[in-house]
Amino acid sequence: MYTPDFDYYAPQTVQEVCSLLTQFGSKAKILSGGTDLMVKLKHGTIDYEVLISLKELNELKGITYQEGKGVVVGARTTHNDLVNSDILNEKYLSISEAAHHMAGNQIRNIGTIGGNIVNAVPSADLPPIFIALGAIVTILGPEGERTVPLEDFFTGPGKTVLAQNEIVTYITIPDQPTTGSNYIKFGLRRSGALAVVGVASSVTMEGNIIKDARIALGAVAPVPMRAKNAEAALIGKEYTDELLEQAGVAASQECSPISDIRGSAEYRRDMVRVFTKRSLKASITKGHSGEHLETEHGK
Amino acid sequence: MSENTIHNNDYAVIGKSVPRIDGREKVTGAAKYTGDLKFPNMLYGKILTSPHAHARILSIDTSEAEKLAGVKAVITHKDVPSLKYGISPARWDENIFCIDKVRFVGDKVAAVACIDEETCYKALKLIKVEYEVLPAVLDPLTAMDEGQPLVHEEYERNINTEIHQEFGDMENAFKNAHHIRKDRFVGQRTYQSPIEPHSAISMWQDGKLTIYSSTQSPHYFQYYIAREFGMKMGDVRILKTYVGGGFGGKLEPTGLEFAGAVLAKNTGRPVKMFYDRAEMFAHNRGRHAQYMEITSAVDKDGKILGCHTNFIMDGGAYTSLGIASAYYAGALLPLTYEFDNYKFDMFRVYTNLPACGAQRGHGAPQPKYAFECHLDEIARDLNIDPLEIRIRNARRPNTVTPNDFGINSCEIKSCLERAGAMSGWAEKKGKLPKGRGIGVATGSFVSGAGYPIYRTNLPHASAMIKVHEDGTAATLYTGAVDIGQGSDTVLSQMAAEAMGFVYEQMKIVAADTETTPHDFGAYASRQTLMSGAAVKQAGEEVKRQLLDMAASMLQRPVYDLDVKAGEIFSISDSSVSLSFSDAAREFFVRRGPLVGKGSYTPPKLGGKFKGAAVGTSPAYSFCAQVSEVQIDEETGVIDVLDVWDVHDCGMVINPGLLHGQVHGALFMGLGESIWEQVLFDDKGKIVNANLAEYRLPTALDMPKVHSGLIDSYEPAGPWGVKEVGEGSTNPTMGCFANAIYDAMGVRINSLPLTYEKVWRALKEKREKEQAQK
Ligand SMILES: Cc1cc2nc3c(=O)[nH]c(=O)nc-3n(C[C@H](O)[C@H](O)[C@H](O)COP(=O)(O)OP(=O)(O)OC[C@H]3O[C@@H](n4cnc5c(N)ncnc54)[C@H](O)[C@@H]3O)c2cc1C
Repeated sequence: MYTPDFDYYAPQTVQEVCSLLTQFGSKAKILSGGTDLMVKLKHGTIDYEVLISLKELNELKGITYQEGKGVVVGARTTHNDLVNSDILNEKYLSISEAAHHMAGNQIRNIGTIGGNIVNAVPSADLPPIFIALGAIVTILGPEGERTVPLEDFFTGPGKTVLAQNEIVTYITIPDQPTTGSNYIKFGLRRSGALAVVGVASSVTMEGNIIKDARIALGAVAPVPMRAKNAEAALIGKEYTDELLEQAGVAASQECSPISDIRGSAEYRRDMVRVFTKRSLKASITKGHSGEHLETEHGK
Repeated sequence: MSENTIHNNDYAVIGKSVPRIDGREKVTGAAKYTGDLKFPNMLYGKILTSPHAHARILSIDTSEAEKLAGVKAVITHKDVPSLKYGISPARWDENIFCIDKVRFVGDKVAAVACIDEETCYKALKLIKVEYEVLPAVLDPLTAMDEGQPLVHEEYERNINTEIHQEFGDMENAFKNAHHIRKDRFVGQRTYQSPIEPHSAISMWQDGKLTIYSSTQSPHYFQYYIAREFGMKMGDVRILKTYVGGGFGGKLEPTGLEFAGAVLAKNTGRPVKMFYDRAEMFAHNRGRHAQYMEITSAVDKDGKILGCHTNFIMDGGAYTSLGIASAYYAGALLPLTYEFDNYKFDMFRVYTNLPACGAQRGHGAPQPKYAFECHLDEIARDLNIDPLEIRIRNARRPNTVTPNDFGINSCEIKSCLERAGAMSGWAEKKGKLPKGRGIGVATGSFVSGAGYPIYRTNLPHASAMIKVHEDGTAATLYTGAVDIGQGSDTVLSQMAAEAMGFVYEQMKIVAADTETTPHDFGAYASRQTLMSGAAVKQAGEEVKRQLLDMAASMLQRPVYDLDVKAGEIFSISDSSVSLSFSDAAREFFVRRGPLVGKGSYTPPKLGGKFKGAAVGTSPAYSFCAQVSEVQIDEETGVIDVLDVWDVHDCGMVINPGLLHGQVHGALFMGLGESIWEQVLFDDKGKIVNANLAEYRLPTALDMPKVHSGLIDSYEPAGPWGVKEVGEGSTNPTMGCFANAIYDAMGVRINSLPLTYEKVWRALKEKREKEQAQK
């Protein structure tokens, strides 16, 4: 294994990134934290002659709250930035918790949300919770800016709506009345395991009635998916454990997992049932919170 | 959390948790491993391996690779000796490079030496090998069927070895049984996964070959390299640097030494060869997959009358240490429990998969898992408490196993009782809340093998101590190999104790075939006992000479003098004193170097039947383990909460290092129990040859470990020592499986005990219960 030769650019402006991408075409690729890209380059599964680093673009790093817009997360924001953000800890602890249970500390220090999303791996941990919170992706291209709801961003494993010369700049979580949200990553060990199933939910309650609910599933379909049947089973109903079980069953039926070395489709499907139920319950009863294989030992 | 037992207060150096002799260097990152070494003009080498599980080599064209700038040599089977080798002379079936066909994905075909690593990878891509792909044998259970392709033409029905042993009167035992039970279990293929990858740097000077290697045994490397190249052993020097773990996977030549030696010779430059993580998995030599059927006859009290084990092992494409693994699988089973009648059948079969070998605990842990589950099933059939049935069957000291292994010290009964008390077994068993369970299992292992891997009358261990000329320090020269387990520390403690010197002034030179005396190396948990015995003898020889000098300096009879912790004193007169250093310095002035030497050869051990030698040992360790688990009923997630490990390992030289071994063994056992498995696609290619998908536990997965010791003294070991390194791996898989059963009432009869298997078993149980309603 070795790192092949490539030309390296570290432009000062986002516009420059787009023009370099346009100039070099399919020979060029954006380099953010590099935790996906460099691994693939070393393994020889991809090959680029030009890497365009986002390193100098400090405006893409960080989390702000913008009145009327919501929480805006720059694409270069690292996983540990998400973990340690005061804004997120206060408003959407569920995001910080989701980021906290990714990879290991070294990767969290360098891996970015932009890379996690654009990479479009079905098991990626950040898309489900951002989809459950209705996140919007801001994309910049040579023709200007456009926005896409995150849930419409993915078109297949490794595929997105992004054009070759576009860059993701921000991910925005609009202001919302949600009561709580939650992401459960089900991996096969406590740390450093990719999700076998990931379930995120957000719920808006009115008294005991579920006014609105969003459920997003990871690792059980070609793209992170909304479990719309499960949501429909909940909305307008009174919260009971049986209702959550029904939603779990609906989610398990509408997902389309595959069997691989991490788990059979059958197991994944049933885990969607279990974790949909558990995630919803947490969203209803614990506010914006996080959970990961929470067992006695893990606490 | 660890519980220390002081065995004997009378020692000045041993029995104490002195800091590791290499601790500072390792913790600060100063320690150099083979991969860290660089030599002037050094080249880098890489091996080209087969992409097919089974294929005939039609042609190899290296011309394009040779033309690439920076490539200094390309070699294939034509450039190396065709003599077959293998770590075990029982079957020499490997070639440095494949000649006519490749036998697994990863089999070695050619090698390059280049100016840098990058060029190596580019050169490998330019070597054109034309293959005719052959049907492959991937399933060990059908490998022996008529009409299956043959992995090696000379081994009919792909049988690498078969073992049929019978002891006592099986017929009678089964005829008189109150209860007979048969169970079947499967053990998976695992890989040692040492943190440090294999590497070797080879160089020649005036016809002498020197190899720095990440190895568990410089001696076996030296022996096999000399044999392969027709050299005198004296012209081959093997040195080990620091080693980042081996666990059995670095015992045999890896191919890096052979290829590197030839590349270095052809280029006249040092050549560094190494495996990356995926290549380590492909080279393998990890634990065999085993298919295990056990039938036992017991009386009404659960006392075992007779036992029949019937196993099949997937050996992979070559023998490696697998003949020994196969024997060990059955031979070590009668250690922990006493019964007279025993039958053991085994087939080790060849498949077109990477070769399996010895992994911590060697052949023993999986059969132990099977037997411990089986024993719990018997206990349940007879309504006997699992701890109680083990205590009833526990081996007693000074007994002989049915297969003629003599047991001296044996405190397994106390281990069980203590583990029961520490864990609160009596209060917990049957009384834990739903989803919570407690299990018990035992283990045992050899403290060194009674016979070396190839036939020779060399002593098993030897040592030399040189006291420095001014008497302020002493250097221990030993062939023993510290691969992280701490033998350099323990042996230095032993040397200081035997000489009457201090540990802090001990230096050590170890595992260099040129400067240190012979030792077979780090395997079979042998060094504390065997290398320790040689070191003790060497230290005592120094002490004898030193006291003789002191007697003449002090004008007192030698029998009135003794030395301890660096001070010579008179037994009769407390006013007399002389320092070790002064006496040692005077010795050098008057008589020359103060040197002591020692060697160790075990007594003749074992019975007369075929294979009787495998499993013999001067001493056996024993242990009991209790674990408590919590199972998530909906997901099958297994949470190991607490483990209580109690060991009978004789006198403990360094309690800190001992408990470290127990923790490490539990870590490995935990991984093998729940997560680890080498997986293949339908073409025989490993699909998880990386640390993301071959899941070793992380620190967060470790349970609380309570490590306890039973006072014991082993007459066959120096100061009464026995092993702990491998025996401690033995009980874990069975212990967890039994705890899971206790929690949920489901028996997982194949390893690893994955969450999904537990989930499926629970689902099937529910469905069965519903159907019965
Ligand atoms: C050991 C290890 C453990 C891991 N564990 C996890 C885990 O638990 N959960 C998980 O979800 N992932 C995990 N990952 C995957 C990876 O770390 C994450 O997906 C990470 O977020 C990727 O971000 P990056 O900045 O490193 O991306 P990069 O590697 O820099 O980029 C990835 C891809 O995205 C593109 N890209 C990056 N930023 C932008 C942008 N702003 N606009 C357009 N395109 C862009 C790049 O061109 C590239 O194609 C792990 C990886 C490793 C190596």
